[in-house]
Amino acid sequence: MFRHTPLRLTTLGLMAAGSLIYAIIAGFFGLEILAEIAILAILVIALDLVAGFGGMVSLCHGALMGVGAYAFTVAANEAGMTALPAMVLAIALSAAIAFAIGAVCARSIGIYFIMATLAFGQMGYSFVFQSSLFGGDDGLSGAPRLDLSALGIDLTDSRTFAFYAIALVALAYLVAALTLRSGLGRSLVGLHHNEKRLRALGLTVWRAKATAFAISGAIAGLAGCLAAQHTQYISPGLMSWTVSGEALVVVILGGLGTLVGPILGAILFVVLKHEISSITPYWHAIVGLILIAVVMSRANGVFGFIEARIAARTRTRKPTLKEADADA
Amino acid sequence: MLETRALTKSFGAIHVTKGVNLKLEKGERRVILGPNGAGKTTLFNQLVGEITPNSGSIYLDGQDITAMRVADRARLGLSRSYQKNTLFDGLTIRENLGLSAAVALGRGQGLWSDPLQSPEVVETVREVAAQVDLAPYLDASVNAVSYGIRRQLEVGIALATRPKVILMDEPTSGVGPEMSKGFHRLLKALPRDLTVLIIEHDMDLAFDVADTITVLNYGEVVFDGLPEAARSSQLLKDIYLGAWEDA
Ligand SMILES: Nc1ncnc2c1ncn2[C@@H]1O[C@H](COP(=O)(O)OP(=O)(O)OP(=O)(O)O)[C@@H](O)[C@H]1O
Ligand SMILES: [Mg+2]
Repeated sequence: MFRHTPLRLTTLGLMAAGSLIYAIIAGFFGLEILAEIAILAILVIALDLVAGFGGMVSLCHGALMGVGAYAFTVAANEAGMTALPAMVLAIALSAAIAFAIGAVCARSIGIYFIMATLAFGQMGYSFVFQSSLFGGDDGLSGAPRLDLSALGIDLTDSRTFAFYAIALVALAYLVAALTLRSGLGRSLVGLHHNEKRLRALGLTVWRAKATAFAISGAIAGLAGCLAAQHTQYISPGLMSWTVSGEALVVVILGGLGTLVGPILGAILFVVLKHEISSITPYWHAIVGLILIAVVMSRANGVFGFIEARIAARTRTRKPTLKEADADA
Repeated sequence: MLETRALTKSFGAIHVTKGVNLKLEKGERRVILGPNGAGKTTLFNQLVGEITPNSGSIYLDGQDITAMRVADRARLGLSRSYQKNTLFDGLTIRENLGLSAAVALGRGQGLWSDPLQSPEVVETVREVAAQVDLAPYLDASVNAVSYGIRRQLEVGIALATRPKVILMDEPTSGVGPEMSKGFHRLLKALPRDLTVLIIEHDMDLAFDVADTITVLNYGEVVFDGLPEAARSSQLLKDIYLGAWEDA
């Protein structure tokens, strides 16, 4: 079950403080990277919720993010909605589509679940690719940014936008963490461990899975809204299965089922990508090698590795304390 | 409380349940005996809906539940434990019991609060832990406790739904005689209005707790009656003890 251990809270605090400080001091390029990290972090929070905790490994989360980005852009550009209601609509639509996908895929597990979600993702991708309303291959431009001028906040400024992006990561994290400690979240973890038993206890399994998938889809949709507002241009590439695959890599790199780990993974991934790609065009290969090293180490990602090391240390210390008690 | 009429099931050419008629009154404790492969577990699987019978019907509290889904039957107060441990590995014993209680209270899909912290669930976990002697192990991970403890948790999870009818599939299988005895004390301490159906291999223990006994052999009910009659039944000795010695 999900718990906020001191290590997790400390890591969250450090990441929040670090990104806020960076948002204050960074130049334009640094702020772009920060926004990129934030978008990926929200997406991997969404994915970890279902994959890490519920065992529902999805390859359609890129597409769900795309639904958010496209719905937001179309609602704002074509339907003339202002940014806030367009965001709400986009997130609701992502959630609804995710609920349907979750309901259909609920019966399949493991590799079949992955394949089914991949199929849904590809359907979304080719639909957008072919549709003229969605700009086809060319994509869509002109998505507005949220207008917070009433609060004296100007999101067209990239520094302010970076703070906004960090705030949305915090929002996504809060939703995921609250979901995990709700009845649904408890059932989700239970389903991962023993679906048959939960059914025998009276849980309507498909609905629990679909609801969890819907919440995850809503968070992915939020990532899509942020992506659309960041670049103010979206293309079908956003919905490609490779985006989902990359998100999965980041979740595993960071630490499946820890919620904190994938955010750390997003930071590492984006920073590594930019650092290494400035040295060599083969950055994918380097990231691949790192991923292999992480998987081969048998630790649960970078964060899992840290957690295990610290747990091992406290374990070796505790018996000595007990012995001291016994001696006294 | 629980009734089957002419329940029949076959897997291909093997007939595992042959026209089984069973009737349990409220609060009755019935033990099912029968050699390996007699179809005892398959009968349970049909009662809870994990396997669909070929024909016949099942009634719970007067309601026909034959076509009802597993989760819906559970919500009517039917609970079971498994012959082979079916736990939430990796979670603590408290979480295992809490999850069961939360789902049974209809809070398995709630979004606004943590059911594991709710007073009803906390209270149920405490009571069940006391019933099945798990109180000292509540915060241990299922992976870290002995087989015997896991076996008790298996029943604990079924009890945590606060069922009207509980089906236990060889609850003491694989545990030592000491633990077995403890378990039968536990059974006797269950609330009297709980209807209990137990599959049990150990004859002495079976006679100890049973109000009534049903003997299954090759999917057929070959005896249905009081323990005293079962004890003196030559038929039962032939079938059951014969097969028992073979096994
Ligand atoms: N899903 C299945 N498919 C095919 N045959 C099955 C299936 N489940 C059970 N059987 C067969 O049905 C018969 C009855 O099995 P069941 O598990 O109900 O026996 P049991 O009385 O519980 O035995 P035990 O005392 O060993 O637990 C066995 O011959 C078994 O091999
Ligand atoms: Mg059996």
